[in-house]
Amino acid sequence: MWRYVARRMLYMIPILFGITLVTFLLFNVAGGDPAAQAAGRYATPERLAQIREQMGLDKPLLEQYLHMVKQLATFDFGRSWSSRQEISGLIWAGIGPSLSVTFPAFVLSLLITIPFSLLLAAKRNTAIDKGTMVTCLGLISISSVVYVLAGQYFLAYKLGWFPVSGWDPSWDGRWQYATLPILIMVSLSLGADILFFRTVFVEEMFQDYVRTARSKGLSNAKILLKHVLKNGMVPIITAVVLQIPFLITGSLLIESFFGIPGLGGLIYQAIQEADFPVIKAMVLIGAISYMVFQLISDVLYALVDPKIRLS
Amino acid sequence: MFKNIFVILATSLALAACTKKAPENDNTINYGLRTNLKALDPEQGSETSANEIIPNIFETLFEYHYLKRPVVLQPLLAEAMPTVSKDGRTYTIKIKKGIRFQDSEVFPDGKGREVKAQDFIYSWKRIADPRNKGEGWWIFDGKIEGINDWNAKLAKGGKPEEVNEAFNAPISGLQAPDDYTIVIKLAKPFYQLNNVLAMPFASVVPKEAVDKYGEEFMNHPVGTGPYKFESWIRGNKVTLVRNPNWHGGTYPNEGAPGDQEAGLLADAGKPLPFADKLVFHEIPEAQPRWLNLMKGALDFGGIPKDNFDNTITDGKLKPEMVSKGMKLWTFPSLEVVYIGFNMADPLLGKNLELRRALSLAYDGQTARKKFYNDRATIAMSPLSPDIDGYDAKFVNPWKEFNVEKAKEHLKKAGYPEGKGLPAIEYNISGSSTDRQMGEYVQQQFQKIGVQVNIISSSWPQFIERLNQKKAQMFGIAWVADYPDQGNMLQTLYSKSAAPGPNNSNYNSKEFDALFEQSEKIPPGPARIALFHKMRDQFVKDVPWIPTVHRLNDIIYQGWINNLKRHDIIRNSYKYIRVDQAKKAELKAKL
Repeated sequence: MWRYVARRMLYMIPILFGITLVTFLLFNVAGGDPAAQAAGRYATPERLAQIREQMGLDKPLLEQYLHMVKQLATFDFGRSWSSRQEISGLIWAGIGPSLSVTFPAFVLSLLITIPFSLLLAAKRNTAIDKGTMVTCLGLISISSVVYVLAGQYFLAYKLGWFPVSGWDPSWDGRWQYATLPILIMVSLSLGADILFFRTVFVEEMFQDYVRTARSKGLSNAKILLKHVLKNGMVPIITAVVLQIPFLITGSLLIESFFGIPGLGGLIYQAIQEADFPVIKAMVLIGAISYMVFQLISDVLYALVDPKIRLS
Repeated sequence: MFKNIFVILATSLALAACTKKAPENDNTINYGLRTNLKALDPEQGSETSANEIIPNIFETLFEYHYLKRPVVLQPLLAEAMPTVSKDGRTYTIKIKKGIRFQDSEVFPDGKGREVKAQDFIYSWKRIADPRNKGEGWWIFDGKIEGINDWNAKLAKGGKPEEVNEAFNAPISGLQAPDDYTIVIKLAKPFYQLNNVLAMPFASVVPKEAVDKYGEEFMNHPVGTGPYKFESWIRGNKVTLVRNPNWHGGTYPNEGAPGDQEAGLLADAGKPLPFADKLVFHEIPEAQPRWLNLMKGALDFGGIPKDNFDNTITDGKLKPEMVSKGMKLWTFPSLEVVYIGFNMADPLLGKNLELRRALSLAYDGQTARKKFYNDRATIAMSPLSPDIDGYDAKFVNPWKEFNVEKAKEHLKKAGYPEGKGLPAIEYNISGSSTDRQMGEYVQQQFQKIGVQVNIISSSWPQFIERLNQKKAQMFGIAWVADYPDQGNMLQTLYSKSAAPGPNNSNYNSKEFDALFEQSEKIPPGPARIALFHKMRDQFVKDVPWIPTVHRLNDIIYQGWINNLKRHDIIRNSYKYIRVDQAKKAELKAKL
């Protein structure tokens, strides 16, 4: 297995090269003159030339590209144009708040959706199953902004269960503010996840081994929990693990509505202010973590299902 | 394993929902910022959100009297208002002794150092230093003797030592003969210098802090103000706490007519500031900002467009809001919104009768209701309300909505019933409200047979069209930088034509002569008489259709006292008092 991991990591090198190259071209070649962006409104041509020199934009493109690769390797992305803070510092500061919301939401939603989908698969074509499917379709069709607006209006404003928005960096105070965003994120994923997981489990239940197990006289519960669940986990793991990079980057929508100082808000603000170094760093980190988790998901695949060989 | 995780998670969530944090010190003012903050450096602060915070930390030589209207300047860090030489070119300003910067790690022993005259010169040089990409350079550009040469030398660049030397070189127009005296020599008379020196841009900052934090000074502000910086969680909130070493100040003893009755003088003579803590929450979305205000988590704020009808009827707060103790404060923006004609355009610029016809055909009252919820006054001229020289009774004859008369003038213009007149291009920037306003203008002019094509573009493209004098007709507003009608009227001075503030490229010898004359004399009745003459010239030539002066509505909680917001008075937090007993009582109802 380690050979497989090592080989996959080697494959990652050309992909990484591709990602950095595309990002570089997007920001440094196609995106216009970064110096003009950074210089502000009243820059003279001399001043512009000075900034180009400071930013290293007067150097050959290859050298500039290598500089970016070095930044990525050392996790030192320079300073934000708008806040002038170290970008790596901004990213570290943002990961915690983002994960405080996304991770509990992620776990909670799996804990609800997987058992529930399994139950639906067992009770397929009954009224509960059909009713849930229709409800799930309804949940998917509603725009995510509506969840946020309704959550804030009813649960926070009308019922007063939570603060409307805000954040407390201390661990004690954090949950008071994080609970409503977590609940909203969970409800956002319910519809799609239940539909998907149910389909997976139902498909699994028509497999031959289930029929065999049943003919051997295994109880329905045992079939479901021992066989269907385990085999159904393969596609589920793929879908779930690939969500993890997005947990780190946080939710743009939730963070901006709730004033959560996470990475989603950082990206949102950087885009609004054309803060290229921050956007560039986030694009790179996002792409790379996606790659890493894809590898993890492939490895987990094999662990769950020995039939899949790592070759 | 799943089961265990579930138990832990469920318990922690349940605990979280139950834990109530110990209540924060209630002598706190909470405000919701409408945009995310970028910088807390006065030199960078041209945005509204930053300007809400900066004047509490940093201070200027002069400030506006909190209550008097129209606004009046008074000394803040200055000992008195400046003495001005006869030719109006030399200002001598004495600064107060014993003013100290806030305690900070940047000073030896962490104790704030005394502010000297040289600190102001240093701070102003920072604004004029092109390396800082500051947004306030225009306040000194061309106005102070020697500053443009100094700026040009720095802009040239060179080795760091050379540039630093260029920065340290003296500017002939900015001198400190002793520690408590500043002498400013102007390149030409500029009677609004005092106003400019009251803008947050001109605040005093300590060199030690700029040297220590470098580029990050904007994240570690140190000033002389009544509140000092405590923390900033980016994207979330900024917290300021009372500065124990503040030089002090008292609540004003006199105000404008009506202030006494409104209870605005109840705290007269009491020491400032009242609140212990200011918290500025970054809430760019309208709904959470509004719900937080309605819940009492914020102390005051504007009314989002979508909530307007549920909040105000006939200019008054609805009873359900009043029953919660909430109050309404309305104040005019120092501005004019207008439809401009490009006077450089061969059709509109040359045909006075056509411009008159269009002005007469525009129904301003209906637009006021439709687009501004009645929260605006009809504009008759470029002169802004709430600034000396504004005359609420003045009537512009071409602002009468009269379709018949408009048709007559269109006939005189050579286009009876609009025949032979090519469609006029009306330029707007892209928001949906702007688009609706554009369609409204289209309908208005259609009534007399004039066709209008709407050219909708993004804000930068729109500005580009104005700058290139390509916009035939356009909708825009001018907001005063400081309370002076001269600042409003520069929008019509031929030498500030596009890309300057004169977007309509109006060029009138008579107007220019009056404007230049007004620049040479100090504020007073003679200058106001000139403003009125300029206004009359404007009415004669119809280069714009002035539409409205907008009003701002602020809702504030019943426990907030002394709130009297104004666009120009930015250091108002020190005057606001939180009635904590009332807060406890009223908040229970929200």
